[in-house]
Amino acid sequence: MNTSYRIIPCYTGDVSGVCSALFELGGMVVIHDPSGCNSTYNTHDETRWYDHDSLIFISGLAEIDAVFGNDQKLIDDTVDAALNLHPKFITLVNSPIPYLNGTDFEAICRIIESRTCIPTFYIPTNGMHDYVPGAGAALAEIAKRFVSVPEGKKPGSVNLLGVTPLDFAADGSAESLRETVERAGFSVHSCWAMGDSLETLSHSGEAAVNLVVSAMGLPAAKVLRERFGTPYVAGTPLGSFSETVFASMRRATETGENQFPLLERLNQTDSGIFAIGEPITMGSVLAAMELPGTVLCPLEHCESLLNKNTLAVVGEEEAETMLKNAKVVIADPLYRPILPKGAKLIELPHEAFSGRCFRKTMKNLFTIDYDALRKEASL
Amino acid sequence: MKKLAFYGKGGIGKSTTVSNLAVAFAERGLKVMQIGCDPKADSTLALRGGAPLTSVLDLVRAKQPFDLQDMVRIGYKDIVCVEAGGPTPGSGCAGRGIITALDKLRDYGAYETYHPDIVLYDVLGDVVCGGFSMPMRGGYADQVYILTSGENMAIHAAANIAMALENFKDRGYAKLGGFILNRRNVKNEDAKVQELSEDFKSQVIASLPHSELVTDAEELGKTVLEAFPNSDMAEAYRNLAAAVLREDAVC
Repeated sequence: MNTSYRIIPCYTGDVSGVCSALFELGGMVVIHDPSGCNSTYNTHDETRWYDHDSLIFISGLAEIDAVFGNDQKLIDDTVDAALNLHPKFITLVNSPIPYLNGTDFEAICRIIESRTCIPTFYIPTNGMHDYVPGAGAALAEIAKRFVSVPEGKKPGSVNLLGVTPLDFAADGSAESLRETVERAGFSVHSCWAMGDSLETLSHSGEAAVNLVVSAMGLPAAKVLRERFGTPYVAGTPLGSFSETVFASMRRATETGENQFPLLERLNQTDSGIFAIGEPITMGSVLAAMELPGTVLCPLEHCESLLNKNTLAVVGEEEAETMLKNAKVVIADPLYRPILPKGAKLIELPHEAFSGRCFRKTMKNLFTIDYDALRKEASL
Repeated sequence: MKKLAFYGKGGIGKSTTVSNLAVAFAERGLKVMQIGCDPKADSTLALRGGAPLTSVLDLVRAKQPFDLQDMVRIGYKDIVCVEAGGPTPGSGCAGRGIITALDKLRDYGAYETYHPDIVLYDVLGDVVCGGFSMPMRGGYADQVYILTSGENMAIHAAANIAMALENFKDRGYAKLGGFILNRRNVKNEDAKVQELSEDFKSQVIASLPHSELVTDAEELGKTVLEAFPNSDMAEAYRNLAAAVLREDAVC
């Protein structure tokens, strides 16, 4: 039971991660599920429904179709909808029932693609992992399938990778990120995946460098590195830490080497200062606050981002143990019940953790006054 | 790399036949990998000379880090032996277990590391669910061979398997390579299996005689080709290997 959650919630699931990553790209996403994954995504994990349409569907898997392995309904319904709606691509997303049934999504994708002539692919989720693997795999698939080979690189241009409301939920966050990067003299080639179309993303191979602002963007960065040699920088340009990130971007462009500026962050393991959440953004928050502290990362597929400053934490019990000497914690408000008595919580609501609970007080990470936040955290 | 899957009714002699086939291929200088896709994890027993092999799912179940080498035992004639294993008997989902095990082998780079010329999937019984169809899916076996005798239940199971392949033909699955008659010496055995193969526009690629040497070799914990290499039965397995290679080349 030491990895169970009694008090705090678990993070947004992989299915929602896929939907969030692909929401604005003009594709059609079909979650093969009775309906639960759909309502979780729509109710808690997606902030954009009020402003944008998107072709996110649920297959409405019936018990009897699951028992008999009847895939034909999924195929026929998807083909029918796609021929009417003309999406740019079709993505099938798995969920617990078809996962355990061993439904062959790869084969179903081939059939749908042959009947619609629309690129169709499968993202191997199962509803048992968090949003980082789901969103990461979805963006990586876009990088593999839709980014064309460039004629050359455009100096000073950058792709922003790993931008979805799950980590950047406050209104205007994506625009603020874009403005921050452009103020530093870079030209934003594309943003994966808020505010830009699939067509724009398809030219991403021309960028001189990729900026990975959350772990969701890391798999796509690796694909773009492998396909086009584009170096990447893992860091979020927040407050005073922005200059370090921008210097790393220039260094990556000059040397062709990937850069990890968060490794240079102040560290003092016994400082009693912790940040909890997605490791790139929360590490960047601590760096922007110029505080020595430890990031606790409860998310999957972040192994390559772990270091002496950033530790994996699995389950609520381990989180409580690791936080037992915490004096200041920067985290979502729903972490409060597991903090030790007397610890100060600096609240940074995280959509992927608390959903819509704190949407009204959600902070734009790119416009926070980190000096003021540091003073708030003063021990 | 050729990937071949073997299906057939439980108890029809799949593991025995596949293990002897593996040795026959190895005798031809081919690098062979045999993957048992059965929760009993007993496909490769005769190739391992009694040496233990932890199944892939037992390694997964232990929830401890493991390497590719932990999933594999190099057996007789350097045949790479793997057992998928399964859930605790009476619980879990054996079909899902097969998928998980085959995914692990792929994720750990088994095919790239051992570079087998031939991979043999020895699959439990019938295609009872999605999991047991995994070895015939795209990316796994290219050809499926179905073992049967002339017994009605064996023929019925073989027809079900062939029907599954027929149903999945638009999915890019493995093709039916043919039927292998493993004789039980029942009446009209040749005619019944021949009729079955014609129903599916296929062929009987080999006929294996009923021989006590098979059980004698099993008692010794060896394949017939190892225990009685000069026997007629060993020659029958070698002929089967030749037929499979011929069929595979044709397809």
